[in-house]
Amino acid sequence: MDRLLSVENLSISFRTDEGPITPVQGVSFGVDRGRTLGIVGESGSGKSVSTKALMRLLPGSASLSPETRMRYRAKNGETVAIETLKPRDRALRRLRGGEIGMIFQEPMASFSPVYSIGNQMIETIRLHRGLGGRAARDLAVEMLAKVGISSPETRVDQYPHEMSGGMRQRAMIALALSAGPALLIADEPTTALDVTIQAQVLDLMRDLQRDLGMAMIFITHDLGVIAQIADEVAVMYLGTIVERGPTREVIRRPLHPYTRGLLEAIPAIDRLDARLKPVPGDIPSPSQRPSGCPFRTRCPEAVPGLCDRAAPRETAVGEGRAVRCHLHDAARAAA
Amino acid sequence: MNPVLIEVRDLEVRFPVRGKGFLNRGPVQEVRAVDGVSFDIRRAETVGLVGESGSGKTTVGRAILRAIDPTSGTVIYHGRQGDVDLAHADESALRDVRGKLQMVFREGGVPVHSLSGEALRLFRPRMSLVFQDPYSSLNPRMTVRDIIAEPLIAGGVMRDRAQIDARVREIAARCKLDLEHLRRFPHAFSGGQRQRICIARALVARPDFVVCDESVSALDVSIQAEIVNLLKDLQEEMGVAFLFIAHDLSVVAQMSHRVAVLYVGKFVEYAPTENLFFAPRHPYTHALLSAVPRADPDAVFDPIRLDGEIPSPLSAPSGCRFHTRCPFARDRCKTETPAWREIAPEHFVACHYAEEFDFSRPRAAA
Repeated sequence: MDRLLSVENLSISFRTDEGPITPVQGVSFGVDRGRTLGIVGESGSGKSVSTKALMRLLPGSASLSPETRMRYRAKNGETVAIETLKPRDRALRRLRGGEIGMIFQEPMASFSPVYSIGNQMIETIRLHRGLGGRAARDLAVEMLAKVGISSPETRVDQYPHEMSGGMRQRAMIALALSAGPALLIADEPTTALDVTIQAQVLDLMRDLQRDLGMAMIFITHDLGVIAQIADEVAVMYLGTIVERGPTREVIRRPLHPYTRGLLEAIPAIDRLDARLKPVPGDIPSPSQRPSGCPFRTRCPEAVPGLCDRAAPRETAVGEGRAVRCHLHDAARAAA
Repeated sequence: MNPVLIEVRDLEVRFPVRGKGFLNRGPVQEVRAVDGVSFDIRRAETVGLVGESGSGKTTVGRAILRAIDPTSGTVIYHGRQGDVDLAHADESALRDVRGKLQMVFREGGVPVHSLSGEALRLFRPRMSLVFQDPYSSLNPRMTVRDIIAEPLIAGGVMRDRAQIDARVREIAARCKLDLEHLRRFPHAFSGGQRQRICIARALVARPDFVVCDESVSALDVSIQAEIVNLLKDLQEEMGVAFLFIAHDLSVVAQMSHRVAVLYVGKFVEYAPTENLFFAPRHPYTHALLSAVPRADPDAVFDPIRLDGEIPSPLSAPSGCRFHTRCPFARDRCKTETPAWREIAPEHFVACHYAEEFDFSRPRAAA
């Protein structure tokens, strides 16, 4: 196994007017070279915040807990301790873009509106790949062609506003890939797209990953997308990973009551049901995190006196699988 | 079969688009946002309307309720007091039926700039809005009780305070809101609860017809399922008809009795949900269905490759509008507009070659 990134005990707190909140608590995950980790969760699950911490992109009001460990194996073989990097470190600048690329739901978040697409790509290529002007431009055109943009020689001189939504999304992927990252973090990259365009972009990302041997962290709320793109999946609820493991296993045999509920709540397209199966109750806000297990307020299997007392620990179940639930703790203790 | 409630015939909506160029001085163009759409909605029926962004689905919903003026065509509302052509009704006639037709909007609400001053004055108080984003749509200075009661008061349905309170409490209970919630302000509620408030407001005046425009799209999956069930229950109890506009095909499948597919301002297919999802006849419907990723690691994900993107309605392709992306397109498709025809009972399609295609899909086990 070739670990590219490992995150242990990631906890993030924010200072707010109503006192400190901790939207991410003790999250651990890892990504192997060339593989895709899917992170799935609903609003307030902390999936975006966790990955922003990897790039040290959190606002000033955020702080990492002292137990947080984020280790990244750089291209030159060195191990970078991301949590210790200072904002002005050269290592951090190399990391952003050159080692770890990031794409977002909204492509305009990645582009400046006042420079042409090519201009921005060439800047990235020169900085991270050390190529000269001519060669950088050639590479930019090549990357645009690779993501399926037609007539890339003319498109390279266009501005972001001159492109349609789907094309901008492709251009953003080209921009992120032009720095040659070993890891790409994709934060809901297809959520705003129509389904036919989403299918094209997912297809594209799978192909590019295979060709470039790049690892990916794919964040989404859509388990359908996860099933199609991720090798492994981590299911987040209110700032903790409740279950993780190989995607196939987790979807086929979900162990955590939340994962089960989420899978059952998805409206089917291959059959018509008289009724849908909702997960009862509402998602609590991060400032009103329940004591004990965060899911206990909605869990159909919650045990009074157990689930409300202590937060469950992560239990390893089988190859690469783990679940954070008292019921599995108890099952193991009994065995 | 229930009687027809809304009869839409050759509905057309055109918008002028300001010219491009320096200070927008270029030639003024015209967008055909909706281009000749005809269909029926029956009492107590849910008609789903799907299509990609820019297909005109929101415009169809708004034009039916006269939130925007249709350019041509008719929209006959078969009300209990007789028939009204909403597309041509004057203000006083519209005022009489307003309470019976409600709207559940998505974020942004009525495009205010598209309404003339007088229409706006008439419309605002008579329409209850349910937005896609329930966080920004409820007036933070009003109590939940006042928010729900607004259509009753504004529409002049009731005047007596005790009567209004009774009706608000009744609908709130049906929407599974606690009665003590009625005294609170909306900021105290979660997304799912806010959406219930929006639904209660839309239904308080006992409308015949509600347009739900992306009403559950912004909700998390675990919450969304409950709102879909609630809408179905309320329909059964109150006999209200829905036009359910959404881009999410799975939600539409579970919610609707019949489903229409819109592409660049035209219907390409309209059929009972069973037929549309398991035996579609139009290549575009087929492509849409194939593009939805299943939450099943063993499902083959092999979406039909559509070239390019959905064309802009400003430059809609000639002939069949889908021919630029259709994998089955032939020469005839480029020049000749396919007729809108009933290929099987209740199953309408606009494709020259619909008879040749068999896109039927297997049904999954429950």
